Amino acid sequence: MIPALEREDLKVIGFNLCKFGNIVGFLLLVPIIVAVIYKEFDIIPHFLIASSITFILCNVGIHFLQTKKEMELKHALCFAALVWIFSMLLAALPLWSTGSVNSYLDANFDAMSGFTTTGLTLVPDIDHLPYSVNFYRHFLQFVGGIGIIVVSLTILARSEISSVLAFRGEARDMGIRPNVVRTSRVILGIAITFMVVGAVLFTIAGIKEGADVGTSIFDGLNYSMSAYGTGGFTPHSQSVLFYHSALYEIIAVIIILIGAFNFSFHFAVLGGRRREIFKNTEIRTIFITLIISTLIIAGLLLLSGIYSSPDVLFRKAFFQAASAHTATGFGTVYPAQISAVWPGAVLFMMSLIMILGTCANSTGGGIKAIRVAVIGKSFIKEIKKALSPNSAVVTAKFHHIDDVPLTDTIARGAMLIALGYVLLLIAGTTITMLHGYSMPDSMYETASAVGNVGLSSGITTPAMHGLLKATYIFLLLAGRLEITAVLVLMGFAILGLRRGIKK
Amino acid sequence: MGLRKFSLINFLKKNFNFIAGIFSEIGLTLLIIAVAMLICLLLVFIKSAP
Repeated sequence: MIPALEREDLKVIGFNLCKFGNIVGFLLLVPIIVAVIYKEFDIIPHFLIASSITFILCNVGIHFLQTKKEMELKHALCFAALVWIFSMLLAALPLWSTGSVNSYLDANFDAMSGFTTTGLTLVPDIDHLPYSVNFYRHFLQFVGGIGIIVVSLTILARSEISSVLAFRGEARDMGIRPNVVRTSRVILGIAITFMVVGAVLFTIAGIKEGADVGTSIFDGLNYSMSAYGTGGFTPHSQSVLFYHSALYEIIAVIIILIGAFNFSFHFAVLGGRRREIFKNTEIRTIFITLIISTLIIAGLLLLSGIYSSPDVLFRKAFFQAASAHTATGFGTVYPAQISAVWPGAVLFMMSLIMILGTCANSTGGGIKAIRVAVIGKSFIKEIKKALSPNSAVVTAKFHHIDDVPLTDTIARGAMLIALGYVLLLIAGTTITMLHGYSMPDSMYETASAVGNVGLSSGITTPAMHGLLKATYIFLLLAGRLEITAVLVLMGFAILGLRRGIKK
Repeated sequence: MGLRKFSLINFLKKNFNFIAGIFSEIGLTLLIIAVAMLICLLLVFIKSAP
């Protein structure tokens, strides 16, 4: 029988949540630097108050929940699911108090969308947001991209065992180095390196396109944080289309693709194992699926007669395909245009690649390319088995840093996660359709939420029904945590309610 | 005190793998972009062919 959580278990989870909350308190202070630079002195109290509330709440919690019990796997899984909700509730405070969104629910939606690097937004007027609030949204995505838990591990590792378990709970279980704390620092280092490279490239492109230096730097930093985090928030309502620049779009694609690569792949390549670029099964898979999806989407758009020149077709079809496949959410087509003009078949294809998602151990979401490869190879293995004599031993392997034998356990795990995503997609699509939206639009929007993408067919607006907003918040979280941690949390919650919390 | 004269050659030698890795990854993304461009070009070419 599965044991219910005891009071001491809840204290372990609560204590660690409160310790983590202090990091959110510090994160809430970062936009104040931007507020000072842009002389937005009326915004500073909002971040100060939100940060103070966070510190007070968390330190009172730490005082009352003090425990010496170490974190176990069940605690880590609950912690991994709850930490996003806890962070969302706190991070939403300044978005709400500054009036950037219409309600606290909308603020929570945007905070969760930020932390899960999704990019769907309920901000009604992005173009007139204060600089500090705009920066804050992108900062949330960068922090979310490299993983709230990884950030916490780099600063606040209570012990090696706690760190290992929290790391596993957040679905980043393929370690790069034996020491998890050091691994987290490596992840942070790689992320900052590429973010800086992206910011410099975006800034140069902005200046080249005629924007002033200040705007170019501000936009460059924000686009880069969002792109590397495969986020999708942008400082302008027109997304990447704001600059109407092919150069800007190409830089965006470079950074989002790099953000979509596996951290262990980055670590291997930056450490000198450059042959991994050609050998890595996951990179090969994402290369093939992205090219095939571009071919299909471009072909369908060309046949429908919407775009006829190769450069426009490339900038619309490939950019949207890359954005969807890497779970980014940048767009060069307006949501209304996607819904009204693009054929339903394209929306279906886009939904499919949004669910397939990007690489494991990256900033993106979705089923993940390595699982797609594992499922594909398993099918081939089964076909070979059927065609071979009974005495033949059929084996398969895939390459991810090293050659890994493809076992039935790995294949079953990949298929279960894929099945979970499909079930979430069906449930989300059905709920969206019940609110009166068409099936292609509903599927597109749900796939975007479940895959943590951020592309929209126009359903996600401040006018959306509250129940649908809450449903999408759940889908964002479930998609980000690859369902497992959320199911564990729900399982414990149901068990706790049924049996009552022991002592 | 403790500061050594900065040498670009030494810096590049010491960080060769890291810098080459960044360029390799950017190269990989450019390869994907190039293939996608080629596909779009071919599709338009095929459609416009008599």
